[in-house]
Parts: sequence; C-alpha cells; structure tokens
Amino acid sequence: MKRLIALALAVFSTVALVSCTRKTTDNDSKTTLKVAVLESAYGKDMWEDIENAYEKMNTGVDIELTAEKNLEDVIGSRIKAGDWPDYVHLATGREAGLTETLIKEEALEDISDVLTMKIPGEDVTVQKKLIEGFTDTLATAPYGNGKTYLAPMFYSPCGLFYNAGLFKEKGWKVPETWDEMWALGDRAKKEGIYLFTYPTAGYFDSFIFALLAEAGGSEFFNKCMNYEKDIWDTDEAEHVFEIMEKLASYVEPTTVANATGDNFLKNQQLILDNKALFMPNGTWVVSEMADAPRAEGFEWGFSALPAIDDERYSFTFFEQGWIPKEADNKDEAKKFLAFLYSDEAARIFARSGAVQPITNSSDFVKGENALFYSVYDDGARAVMGGFRATEALEGVSIGETLFNSINSVISGDKTVSEWKEDIEKVSDKLREALK
Amino acid sequence: MNARKRGTATFILACLSPALILMAVFMVYPTLSIFAISLFRWGGYSKEREFVGFENYKILISDTRFWDSCRNSLFLIVTVTAVTLTLSLFCAYVLTGYDIKHKSFFRVVLYIPNILSTVVIAAIFSAIYDPSRGLLNSVIGFFKDGPPILWLGDRRLVIVSVAIAMVWQAVGYYMVMYMASMAQVPKSLYEAASLEGAGKARSFFSITLPSIRPTVRTTLTFFVISNINISFLLVRAMTGGGPDGASEVALSYMYRQAYTNSTYGYGMAIGCAIFIMSFALAAFVNLITRERN
Repeated sequence: MKRLIALALAVFSTVALVSCTRKTTDNDSKTTLKVAVLESAYGKDMWEDIENAYEKMNTGVDIELTAEKNLEDVIGSRIKAGDWPDYVHLATGREAGLTETLIKEEALEDISDVLTMKIPGEDVTVQKKLIEGFTDTLATAPYGNGKTYLAPMFYSPCGLFYNAGLFKEKGWKVPETWDEMWALGDRAKKEGIYLFTYPTAGYFDSFIFALLAEAGGSEFFNKCMNYEKDIWDTDEAEHVFEIMEKLASYVEPTTVANATGDNFLKNQQLILDNKALFMPNGTWVVSEMADAPRAEGFEWGFSALPAIDDERYSFTFFEQGWIPKEADNKDEAKKFLAFLYSDEAARIFARSGAVQPITNSSDFVKGENALFYSVYDDGARAVMGGFRATEALEGVSIGETLFNSINSVISGDKTVSEWKEDIEKVSDKLREALK
Repeated sequence: MNARKRGTATFILACLSPALILMAVFMVYPTLSIFAISLFRWGGYSKEREFVGFENYKILISDTRFWDSCRNSLFLIVTVTAVTLTLSLFCAYVLTGYDIKHKSFFRVVLYIPNILSTVVIAAIFSAIYDPSRGLLNSVIGFFKDGPPILWLGDRRLVIVSVAIAMVWQAVGYYMVMYMASMAQVPKSLYEAASLEGAGKARSFFSITLPSIRPTVRTTLTFFVISNINISFLLVRAMTGGGPDGASEVALSYMYRQAYTNSTYGYGMAIGCAIFIMSFALAAFVNLITRERN
C-alpha cells in the first residue's frame, strides 16, 4: 500500500512539473514571434510599445519579447540549446561578440529581400525609405558580396563633443582644420585646460574611421576596411599616424587611468568640468551625463573632425538588427523588421531618443538632438561601416590592435611606428582570412 | 554475512550516488567536453565545427599575449600568496596571542572585505586609485609634489594595483582560518617556552608555525585556485585587462578569445592550459611543503 502511495505521488509530481513547464497559451492559433533586443541606454519601454503596436496591427502574431541588458548571456545559452530567436536587435562591437561570431559563422539570414518589401501600413518600400548609403556598408553587408545581412537601426552621428558655453565665454572658435586644433590646444593649455580626452580607447573607432576618410576619401577608407595590402604604409595612413602622435601630447594626463569600463564617466566629466576641450563620442552622451554636475553656462556642442585638407568627416554609428538563419519564423520576422522602419515605429523609438535611419527622420528629432543630427547639413560628410568579415583568427583582433593600443601610444609605452607595425601585421593576417 | 556485506555496499553506493551523479554531470563531463572542444575550430554557436587536432595548442605556444597574461597570473599568485600569507598569519597571531581590547571588532573589520562582492571591491579600489581625487594620491601628495600617479593607467603599476586589492580582499578570510588553527595549540607549550625565556617572535616561529603547518599547507592550495579565479573577476570589473592588455590575466584572456574574438575552440584550449598549469602549480606547492621525516 505504501509503495502504491509513493508511486502515485511520484506520478503526480511528474505530471505537475510537466504542466508547470509547458507554456499555457490561450492563443494557440497565433504565430509566436520571438524577438530578442538589447536593453540599451534607450530603455526597455520603447520595445514594449513596439510589441503592442505590432500586435495591434497584426492580430495573428504574438510577440514573445526578451529585452535584457546582458542579452548575449540570456539568448546565448538558448541558441546553444537550439532555441533561436526570430529577430535580434544587437549591434556589433559588444564585448561578448555574439553578432560578430554569428557573422563569422555565416549564421545570419540574407535579408536583402526585406529592402524590397512594403512597410506594413505604408505604401513605400524599405529601400525607398532608408537614407541612401546605409545598406551599402560593411556593417550591413559584411561579406562585401552586395547582400544585406544586418539591418541598420538607430543611427547617431559621432564626432567631437565640447562645451559650447566655454567657447562662447572665451571667444574661441571651434577649429575647422587640425592646424587650428593644435593652435587652440596650445592656447587652452596656458589656461590649464587640455585639448583632448576620450572615454575609453574603444571610442577611437569612430574617430579613426573619420580620420581615415579625411586622409584619403571614402575609397581609401574602404581599402583599409578590406585589409588591402600595404594600405597602412601609404601617405594617407601616414597623415593619420602623424595626427595621432601629435594628439597624444595634448591628451589630459589622467585620461588613460580612467579609460576603463568602470571609470570612463570620469573622463567624460572632464568636458563638463572644463578640464578638457574635446572628446570623441556619440549623441547618447547627453542622456548618459544628464545628471552629472557641470560648469556654469555649460552647453553641449558637437562638431565633425577638423579637416586634414578641406573635407570634414563625421562617422555615423548605427546599431544592427538581424534574423538568424535557424529562426523558425523568418518570414514573419522580416515583416516585423520592415515595420520597424514605419513612421509609427520611428515615432515610438524617437520618444526614447533613438533615431531610425529613414528619410523623414528629422520629423521625429527634437530639441538638442536636432543640433547633432544637423552636422551633415553643415557640410560634414558621412562615413559609415566597419571592417569586412573574416574567418575568426586565434589571438588576432584588429579592434584590439588598432584601438586598444592607443592607450599605450598616449601613455608613451608604445611608439607610433610600433603601433603601425602591429596594425600592418594584423591587417596582413586578416586579409588572408577574408570571407 | 555476505548478504549483509552486499547490503552495506548497496547502501553506501545509494548514499554516494547523488553526489557522484552531480559531480559527473557538473564537473567531470564539462571538463572532458572542454578538452574535446579545444580540438575544434568553432565560434561557439553554430553547428559548423572543424576538427583541427592540436592546432589550437600549437597557436597557443606562439601566442605572446597568452604568455603575457600567464606572467601576470603567476605574478599575482606568487605576490598575493606571499603577502596575504604573511599578513594573515601576523594578524591571526596578534589577535590570538595578545590580549588586545576590542578583539572581536578587529576580527570583523578584517573579515568584512571577504564578504563583499568583487564588483564592490573593484569600485572601492577604483575610487582609492583615482588619479585626481583618490585617497592614495591625496596621501602621497602630502609628502611628494609632482604629477599624479596613474595606478590604473601605468602599464608597470596596474598589476601591482590589482594585487593590492586582492590582498585586502583575502587577508581576513585566511586570518580566520589561521586563528581557528592557532586556538588548537596547547597553552602549556607557550608557558614552557616562556619559562625557558623565549620571546613572542621565538614562540611564533618555534611553536605556532610548526603547529599550524597542515592548515598553512592546505591554504596554499586554496591560494593558487582562488587567486586565478578572483584575479579574473577583479580584472574584468576594475581594469578590463587594460591599459592595452597590461593587466590581462590568463582567464580574462581566455574569455576574450572565446567570446569577443569568436574563437571558442581556442578559448577552450587556453582553459585547458590553465587547468593543467593550476594543477601542476598546486601539486608543486604540495610537494615542496611535504612533511619530511
């Protein structure tokens, strides 16, 4: 009898457990779309609003939203278990490198056909609505074969941020050439203000990309991104190295010590405290430093990089969305992706400060942000993209060599020629591993 | 009789089986699978894996960044162990051997760092090392003029800065272990030594230290393992391996290769190398501290 009771209890527990783990849904007829997004500085609310808006428009779709700050940890283990999300919003350049890994493993779906799709609720195709150039970059077509694998999302002009109030107070002019920049650096130093600081060495990506474009135009920039042979040994590259070497002598001396993921806000604070004049950054810095104390009369200013010859460049950073090759509902995910470029979605995103790269984006940009986004109207040229995808090479990383080493160049532990030599070596290795 | 023996054996096996199963599932299997993955070229997510044999290990041998990170790990293991061992033995001896007021207070104060999370310790030391407003530079500033010392920005100093934080975190934990061991030493030995004219220092080296030798020996193995783990957590939270890889330790380099650089197979090869090295180091420590008859 006791055995029978024990057996019955065991069966009951198992059934109860299975019932608990099985998802109970009252809408079995609906398609479940698994959407995984990074909860970044823009917050989670806008994605919940997008979920509601899309479900309202498509009553047959039920979105299962995962919005996490540590998205790679959450979906990484699910992916390993074969449970792939249908749509993912996660940009490249993150420490966990999930998007890069999937690009290298060719695990992303070709989304070129989304460009020709009509945006749900509108009478225009995605391609027509996107700002020109966004889908021609290596950040969206990483294999250089003309096919789009990553959708451009939330663009942000990057350049030099400064205290416009200080410039007004001192009667200084924002430098338009590097010669003017050095002259201003010497003048400011006499008043105890350093010319330059940076949050972390990683922020030099947008800075160096714009500098490369200034030195040799977009063609030279693309050659660098494609690891062309001897490209770092050209006159154009030499200009870039010369500027970096000179810039190192103008950097605020405590910057390197605080250029870590934990302390980078202290470097940004140097601008607010009038201890340094310029820092490379993106438009998100305004909300990031919203509660920080600041010098009297502080006012955010934003400028493209000073020109080497006559053209000034500003790197356009954007995030990326993608659909995994292994996703269950790829077609529905593509429709959802097209919806993200609708006016309705753009309005929802803009409320949190995220700006979609669509032709009418200026309709949604308000306040201080409008100043930043007008940089291209003021004559600066845009440069976009990143390095072309390669096979993953053990112990070799262009990002670490090109950007992280800048800390050593600035602290004087590495000479510019040693830095250049390292970049050439890594570029040569990665050229052999191009996809 | 045989039936009873068999019954006892079954009972013991039944009692041990949950622990054995858990150990097999959560320790033995993952360890073996890491060794297996290290023989593949794989990014860690897709189904595509390429068997490369010992190629990852060949790359490892010529990877200077890996050896730099190992050098940092070894530096931390040696210096943090030596300093923490000395300080914790000293504190334990003072708190057990001397009649100090507020003994419990000191014991709690010294132990508190051990219960703090690594992120909190990283934040505390980031504030202490702040070049402009940090406690350390402010104190040094009283005695010495000149540019601020960049504790986390100087390639030569950054690993020392990490070591100091690790010592601060560990002293209390080992002190409590040594205090428990010292309490077992018979008082009569000290009384006899005192009658013979031995001072406190002499008593420490001739009575206390030999008496707690087994505990010290055990903790030395703990030092090797915990230094490898805590240095990874602290470096990730405090310096991110920077500036320019100067504070990279073996485990943080493994993480960087396995995830950021999309070379998961290579990362696991690094993991295996660390596994073997830490075992070898623990065995070496065990060997040289073995009791000689």
